[in-house]
Amino acid sequence: MLFSMIFHKAGRCVMNTLLALIFFFPFYWMVITSFKTLGDTVLFPPELIPSTIQWQSYIDAFKAIPFLHFLGNSLIVTFSILILQMFTIIPAAYAFARYEFKGSRFLFGIAMVAMMIPVQLTFLPLFILFSQLGLINSYASLILPFASSAFGIFMLRQAFKQVPQELVEAARMDHASEWRIICKVFLPLARPVLVTLALLTFISTWNDYFWPLVLTTSDAVRTLPVGIASLRNVESGMYYNTLMAGNVMLILPIMLVFLYAQKQIIKAFTYMGDK
Amino acid sequence: MSEIVFFHAKKAYDSKKTVIEDLNLVIPDGSFTVLVGPSGCGKSTTLRMIAGLESLSDGELVMDGRRMNEVAPEDRDIAMVFQNFALYPTMTVRENIEFGLVNKKIPREERQKLIADVVETVRLAEYLDKNPGELSGGQRQRVALARAMVKKPKVFLMDEPLSNLDARLRNEMRTELIELHKRLQTTFVYVTHDQTEAMSMATDIVLMSNGVIRQKDAPIKIYNDPNNIFAAQFIGTPAMNMFDIREWPQHNSIPEQARYMGFRPSRVHLAQEATASMDKMDFQGRILTHEFFGSEIIYRVETDNGILSFKTFHKDELPLDMEVQVYVEKRDCYFFDDKQNRVRCS
Amino acid sequence: MLKNETAISSMTNKTVSDVRKNAGHSVWKKIKPYAFVAPALSIFLIFSIYPAFRIIDLSLYQWNLVSPAKDFVGFQNYVNLFHDPEFFETLRNTILYTVLTVGLSLSLSLFLAIYLKNDTRVNRFLQRLIFSPYIVSLASISFLWLWLMNSDVGFLNYIISLFGIGKVDWLGNPHVALFSLVLISVWKTAGYNTLIVLASLQVIPKHLYEAAALDHANQWRTFRKITLPMISPTLFFITIVDIISSFKVFETIQIMTDGGPQNATNTLVFAIYEYGFKFYKIGYASSIGVVLLVIISIFTILYFRGLASKVHYQ
Repeated sequence: MLFSMIFHKAGRCVMNTLLALIFFFPFYWMVITSFKTLGDTVLFPPELIPSTIQWQSYIDAFKAIPFLHFLGNSLIVTFSILILQMFTIIPAAYAFARYEFKGSRFLFGIAMVAMMIPVQLTFLPLFILFSQLGLINSYASLILPFASSAFGIFMLRQAFKQVPQELVEAARMDHASEWRIICKVFLPLARPVLVTLALLTFISTWNDYFWPLVLTTSDAVRTLPVGIASLRNVESGMYYNTLMAGNVMLILPIMLVFLYAQKQIIKAFTYMGDK
Repeated sequence: MSEIVFFHAKKAYDSKKTVIEDLNLVIPDGSFTVLVGPSGCGKSTTLRMIAGLESLSDGELVMDGRRMNEVAPEDRDIAMVFQNFALYPTMTVRENIEFGLVNKKIPREERQKLIADVVETVRLAEYLDKNPGELSGGQRQRVALARAMVKKPKVFLMDEPLSNLDARLRNEMRTELIELHKRLQTTFVYVTHDQTEAMSMATDIVLMSNGVIRQKDAPIKIYNDPNNIFAAQFIGTPAMNMFDIREWPQHNSIPEQARYMGFRPSRVHLAQEATASMDKMDFQGRILTHEFFGSEIIYRVETDNGILSFKTFHKDELPLDMEVQVYVEKRDCYFFDDKQNRVRCS
Repeated sequence: MLKNETAISSMTNKTVSDVRKNAGHSVWKKIKPYAFVAPALSIFLIFSIYPAFRIIDLSLYQWNLVSPAKDFVGFQNYVNLFHDPEFFETLRNTILYTVLTVGLSLSLSLFLAIYLKNDTRVNRFLQRLIFSPYIVSLASISFLWLWLMNSDVGFLNYIISLFGIGKVDWLGNPHVALFSLVLISVWKTAGYNTLIVLASLQVIPKHLYEAAALDHANQWRTFRKITLPMISPTLFFITIVDIISSFKVFETIQIMTDGGPQNATNTLVFAIYEYGFKFYKIGYASSIGVVLLVIISIFTILYFRGLASKVHYQ
């Protein structure tokens, strides 16, 4: 039976190689292409190992688009969102976790509903709203809509709920103000969740192509993914080596983060899967 | 004078669930008062009311002559040791102990000194820079104690602090707590469900059930002179033998209203040891079980009046199913009326 | 009970102003939770809830975004929409894309999860490897496959040429383009789905398999009667989540095919984008948006229903 054949040792070797090729080769090809000369890129059959290696494509990519400008925008937008999210998520999660107040269920429900409304629906009305406010092509239009995260509130609330009441009572009797209790008891205990949220937010914001594309009409605040896309629009046909060079630079930060925090990241994303 | 007084205190959750109806209690200054009773008897609630973690639904709480009902827990000059220790897991032992002091903005040198004193008493000096997670149960217990002691409170409140320790450690800590109390001479209010703990540590025992105080006395007095069946059977191991004597043949020295009679297993003796002049009650029966405890043996005997346990220090073990004759002296018997209250012979 | 300020203050050694401060303090105490949740909730209300309502509103008008005048046309946009063959093509494309992506990705991930179940170094490495496309941005993936699928010199055509097949115009052939996009989507998400299924496989208690072995159950039986039912809640949820994200597909289309060739890869979100920003027909675009909203809402409700009642196939 095919199944048992595959699970047999030799079969596994073949299967593993196949998997590795399918999922790794494209990345290899991307990097290789970025080092090829333009002439070499259009060779068919293509060279698996390039005969000449050059860094020129990277320089070209850097020059063809205002690379540092886009990079700067990505950094500004990503970190602003990270910071704003911390300021909106932490108090809200704390309130939902530790206070009993009228309407808390309803308000929490609003958050959950908001979580399910995708940007692919909100972009049109928000574009109109921002243009009426004169905020198109401003950082605000890229940052504010993501200044909070209902998923983050959900996760952090779970974490805060697990802090034992005794600990809070002991801290109260130790003359700790509520603010101090949050800083010294709740936040340290919720650190893993906070790190997870930060990772998820960083990755999704850095990678975001949709929102910076549809909410802007000029390159003023556009982020790196949108910037690299304009490498496609070269007049005399597409220079794939330049495009791949840009792509490599785009992927590099995320890949580094992934290599450094693999386990954490996988845990973060797969938790989302069965939330 | 850090005396604690409850006047007609009441604690109710919603309108339906009243945990404590009408509590009137004086906890003497400098005492080691143990609140003891089965689960749900209201002892923890009472402790938390003293702490201020629960408010009084009605009545007054007065400490040191001051009315405390509205005073916040942190302003009551008390310290509390929790059942699960409630140590801050992300802080070192030192930081745990000085947390309260830091919050009150006490300067560093003074803090160092206070901590040094306390740490010496509880023998934690080598652990100051460790995290609670790295400590054993007994060590965590001592950190919790140190944290309470460093505040130099007028009252120490303890909510079943030994129940999470293993048996041997519990015994050790019991003596340590007794010595601590003697040394500090501060009021200790201690909650437990374990009557041996209560008996060994307390200067005053407050026995509670269903939100009501059943007896408040020194340990030896509760043991020797219980006010009701509940007290008689809760205190002392094994529990006091208790019989409904309405059907029993009349005896001239049994009080009129007496419906129940009880006597301690340790006061039961084998018939051979009786002397002629004793005023005694005899029992006869078959040995059902025996439990060997090293220095003593506890037997359960099936008699016509019911099962009776007796405790002896005889080294020879009597075999099961053996027929024995035992007696108890009249003066060791306690009588209770049909409301389960004690009837005292004149 | 003594409730007056001076009496309380004399008994508790507080000043009268302290007692008054306590009263103001309790107003703050009442407002506090609301103040804490206000920032987050304002963001949600303004940037999620409001737009959802606005798009329904906009769909009832005809507007070209630049002129200040908006014409109220009621349901006319919807009438036009449902008589528009291009819309049905778009809808069909989106549904086809979704069905194929989810079907393939799910089957593949189920297989891979079982294949990679054992905790060996090789398996762990492979798990991370197949997961890696997921965290790379969709834009980057699109650029990459744009190159791989280049019809003249792309590597994909090189591979198939080794099997004697002629070059395929992956993105330019209207019969093939949509499937190319499906391929890319499966490549990106298979690893993610695999790891989720893997996680739920690993919580199945071992003794169930031991009992099955003692009961002489063969591999297929075991899979069908034990494994599948235990992971069916997870499969259910991945399916719903994948369906919802497939309906939202945009980046690959905008970067690689621009909706073509000949509308072959036009999908709902891309249509909203085109009608809104290229043709300036805001009302029409909004009506497509509402259709998308309805579809997503249906699946979202299914998701929450499922959460409430943990699905187990019998």
